[in-house]
Amino acid sequence: MADTAIIETNDLRKHYDGVEALRGVNLRVQPGSICGFLGRNGAGKTTTMKILLGMAQPTSGEAHVFGLAADSPRESLEIRRRSAFVSEEKDLYPHMTVEAIIRFTAPLFPRWRDDLLQRYLRKFDLPRTRRIKTLSRGTRTKVALLLALCRGAELLVLDEPTSGLDPASAEEVLQALVAHAGSEEMTVFFSSHQISEIDQIADRVVIIERGRVLVDGALDDLREKFRRIHFVFDHDAPEVTFRAAGVGRVKRNGRVLTVLSSAGVDPIVEEVRPLHPRSIDVVPVTLKEIFLETVNAED
Amino acid sequence: MLWYKSWLETRWRFLIGLALLLCSAGATVLVYPKILQLTRFVPANVSGEIGERIREAAALSREYRGYVWSQWFRQNLPQWGTLFAVLLGAAGALSTSAGALFTLSLPISRARLLTVRAALGLGELFLLTLVPSLLIPLLSPTIGETYSIVDAIVHSVCFFVVVSAFFSLALLLSTVFDDVWRPVLIALGIAFVLSLLSRVYNRPYSGYGLMSAESYFRSGHIPWLGLLASAAVSALLIWAATSNLSRRDF
Repeated sequence: MADTAIIETNDLRKHYDGVEALRGVNLRVQPGSICGFLGRNGAGKTTTMKILLGMAQPTSGEAHVFGLAADSPRESLEIRRRSAFVSEEKDLYPHMTVEAIIRFTAPLFPRWRDDLLQRYLRKFDLPRTRRIKTLSRGTRTKVALLLALCRGAELLVLDEPTSGLDPASAEEVLQALVAHAGSEEMTVFFSSHQISEIDQIADRVVIIERGRVLVDGALDDLREKFRRIHFVFDHDAPEVTFRAAGVGRVKRNGRVLTVLSSAGVDPIVEEVRPLHPRSIDVVPVTLKEIFLETVNAED
Repeated sequence: MLWYKSWLETRWRFLIGLALLLCSAGATVLVYPKILQLTRFVPANVSGEIGERIREAAALSREYRGYVWSQWFRQNLPQWGTLFAVLLGAAGALSTSAGALFTLSLPISRARLLTVRAALGLGELFLLTLVPSLLIPLLSPTIGETYSIVDAIVHSVCFFVVVSAFFSLALLLSTVFDDVWRPVLIALGIAFVLSLLSRVYNRPYSGYGLMSAESYFRSGHIPWLGLLASAAVSALLIWAATSNLSRRDF
């Protein structure tokens, strides 16, 4: 269903001064989803977002948003008319007041929502007459989010939306996002290295490491597929070379053999059963563990 | 609203420049009686390049029109005007320290951003050139002199057309470098080298001869060809800036 994806990239690559920032990124984000883009610092999250919004050009590969080519200046304008972006720095115009930046932004978006503006001005308790440069980072984040949410955008792209915020402000921002996405039928694509945030609000997750997508799927599916299996033996755990698909990290610790699986349990259990383990214990895996296992496996 | 944003980002450079140039133009007029007294003491027997320059300045200063041209349109305005043309150009269309990513996330083409910034900057530069120059004919009666408004306008317009090339050069450099200082230093460096070359060759149609509209002062001829060439260079630099900005990664 290639025509229904809001975001789609094929073998997206980007080189900066000899550094490979993206090494063939393939992404598909479906409409209406809240997709968490998870990765360590420098993994390629911001670069991918910038390419999607026409702020940077790919070295090769394709990026489409709403079916429009992100590297075409004309189509990129339309992409930006239908989407909203909040950068990690929340860099707004320091000399403008909150009121002035709202008046500056609103006319650029034909679907600007004054009702939402009033709602979020009240909700975030923003000082309309103060200059942006005098605001705290938390308040600046709320202004940036307000400007993004009121555009009537179909896609919200957020780069580390809660970075630098205290836990209370971060929670407020996340709650506002979830409520907005739920009521306005919009797609949210947000990056973070805060696993708990993605776990809290995303329904889909993409894990990127060193410019490559390692995991891409619905969060529920990932939780279902990823399992940690503990085999306990009467003697020291044997060394096993698995043939089954989806075997992640294998660890032997005394009498215990631990296997991380990303493709079900049964084939792995069947391979170990002839070795007569005393007990087999299957444990669900958290998103944090999935992230750490996949990222560490790359190292 | 893009105009408003550009104005907010350049207004202090413009206002400081305007205040400084107005003071300089006012001082140029008000010190004339003193200068006129000093011209009597210029020695006639100083030899060499410096002596020639002193004698030429003294000769020009004996007549008010010559004094204004030599002191304001050939000296003060080119020095301060070039500095502020470069400072206005170096403000750039997408300063990385002032919400560049927010601007880039808006449905505005980079060409439009740069066009608005260039148009506003050139407008500010035009006012920086014209308003202080018009102060001269207005202030001259206070010292018992008169200066033609037409001359003030012609000289300012000629200066504006030529100095806009330095504005455009700084604008182009601002699309290459992220900071403000490299565009300023490089553009001023180029302006300095060109001024030295102009002094060495000292022709009415050299860059600084055009800036001060020397041919108009001496013979009443407006240097159309030179002005056209300057305008073409300026347009070319703005086109290069637009093209560079459109391709640049942020």
